Amino acid sequence: MTGETGTRVFRREQELAGPVARFLRNRAFRLQSAEVQFFEHRMDLYGYSAREDRTIAVELKLTKWSRAVEQALLYQLCSDLVYIAMPRTVVPRVDLDVLVGHGVGLIAVGDGRCWEVLVAAPSQVVRQHYRDEYLALLMGGE
Amino acid sequence: MAGERPLVIVRLGSHAEKDYVLKLAPFIDGVIVGANLFEATPGATASLLLRTGGKARVYLDPMTYAFGAYEDPTTRRVRTDLDWIKSDQTRKEGRGKKTVREFKRSYRLLAEALGWPLSDAVSKSRAVNADVFKDPLKTATFCKRVIDYQLERISREFTDEEELKDFADQVPEPSAVFAPYFYIEPSNTGAWLDANLALARSSKGLGADVPVHAVVCADVAHLKDAAFSARLLSELPAAGIAGVWLWFSGFFEEAASLEDLVAYRRLVVGLANHVEVYAMHGGFLSLALNKYGMRGVSHGVGYGEQKDVVPVIGQSTPTVRYYLPPLARRLGVLEIERSFGALGVKTPKDFHEKVCGCAVCKGVVQGSIAQFAAFGEMHRSRASAKRSAQTPAAAKRCRFHFLLSRITERDDLHKLSLGDLVKRLDDARDTWGKQPTLSRFSEHLARWSAVLTQK
Repeated sequence: MTGETGTRVFRREQELAGPVARFLRNRAFRLQSAEVQFFEHRMDLYGYSAREDRTIAVELKLTKWSRAVEQALLYQLCSDLVYIAMPRTVVPRVDLDVLVGHGVGLIAVGDGRCWEVLVAAPSQVVRQHYRDEYLALLMGGE
Repeated sequence: MAGERPLVIVRLGSHAEKDYVLKLAPFIDGVIVGANLFEATPGATASLLLRTGGKARVYLDPMTYAFGAYEDPTTRRVRTDLDWIKSDQTRKEGRGKKTVREFKRSYRLLAEALGWPLSDAVSKSRAVNADVFKDPLKTATFCKRVIDYQLERISREFTDEEELKDFADQVPEPSAVFAPYFYIEPSNTGAWLDANLALARSSKGLGADVPVHAVVCADVAHLKDAAFSARLLSELPAAGIAGVWLWFSGFFEEAASLEDLVAYRRLVVGLANHVEVYAMHGGFLSLALNKYGMRGVSHGVGYGEQKDVVPVIGQSTPTVRYYLPPLARRLGVLEIERSFGALGVKTPKDFHEKVCGCAVCKGVVQGSIAQFAAFGEMHRSRASAKRSAQTPAAAKRCRFHFLLSRITERDDLHKLSLGDLVKRLDDARDTWGKQPTLSRFSEHLARWSAVLTQK
């Protein structure tokens, strides 16, 4: 489905998953797993780039960007890079200063493709034991 | 009455929780058991109370409210079918089986033990009506039966058995007995308040040897009802009772508006001038209201610092989250751990100084703060489970930590001045409350400070 301006209208968060997964795969995050449980939370996408030796977590959200930031901050405990991915039409509403302040990146999802609006800073709070555990999970699930 | 150390009374929700009560009995002030639990497992409950009785006060909640009208938590409609104390039960029928909806055995036995009007309610499958307590003679008979039940039921478990008779003398007597009580449902406030006050007066009039306490079991909306509060403040003390336990369904201390909190405090202050005041399902704020006369607080071992009159059926077992003492509320492990770096919690020593130094936390967080994750440890409880759930061991750690924290809070509150207590809340707001993963969960601190300091 597309909107009046030719922009795709996303009705469910899961519809963002496919384009984002492809986008990350093209960025060398070839090892990926969807809906990875992290204590009481569930990371929509967790990936690893062997080339960069970096893990990445992505929170998909249709509208509530501030709620996505809250979750992204938690994922910084187990991932080197954390992104929020939202429909391209919603991205202008996001306060980029907040994301920059926390080192959270932003991906805009449009009709079949993605744009990196903001580059994530490497997490300063990543816990090695969580990172190792989730990386092992990814490797095991390959 | 302000100035006495607050009492922490732990409510036993099921026998799975007995370890907490037994191990902590020397440190808590009392144990309260619902009569439905007693009827479900009389031998085990009586034995438990026998073992704790010498160390802690004992209360037996008659649970009479369960037989009254209630508000359906889903539809918000008043229901009189007593369905929430029924369950689907399998019965043999010919060669097959059929499922029937019947009263839970524990409530059926309780109704038999307490007699009219509860037994009538069960036989008609219809809630007790407030008007039945307009008959003073019948009301007095009912009150006597409810009070005698609380005084005798525990020891009867021993006197009825020849081999156990010798233990009967050691059975603890309840520290107080509760007058029968019913939920004051908002669509019929006047009639139910009349009924509850009549039950309190009648119970006091029986001349029991132990103090008689009333329970105000009402809706949170009643806190804003000035006429309701006025009647409580004038008529409860006049009833001659020694204590009152407040239970406002839907009143959550952390989420409550300042208006509700102020109304709650006013009620406590007004009543505490005449009778002992307790919170039936209270948390830190209720405990802190000891500065305004609150005598004690009861709550469950893991959660239950707030309780709706009727639970929502069909919810999955909630995760027992870590009780973060600086914020005096339960939170997820990750939300807390994400704040450690900014708050300088880098070593176990930091953790014990800034987060919690209880015996459980010292045992769990020994070598590295990474061990804090043990409070949220997850596993797949069944091979087919789609999601992981908290391990029983992690839940147990959280419960013990919570209870030990509560005991510390009780002792600290008694030593702290009101000013120091408020400063502690304000300091927590300025440190923990400023963390991005905790700020949303810290908003109550400002309201609590305000209610503790407002004139």
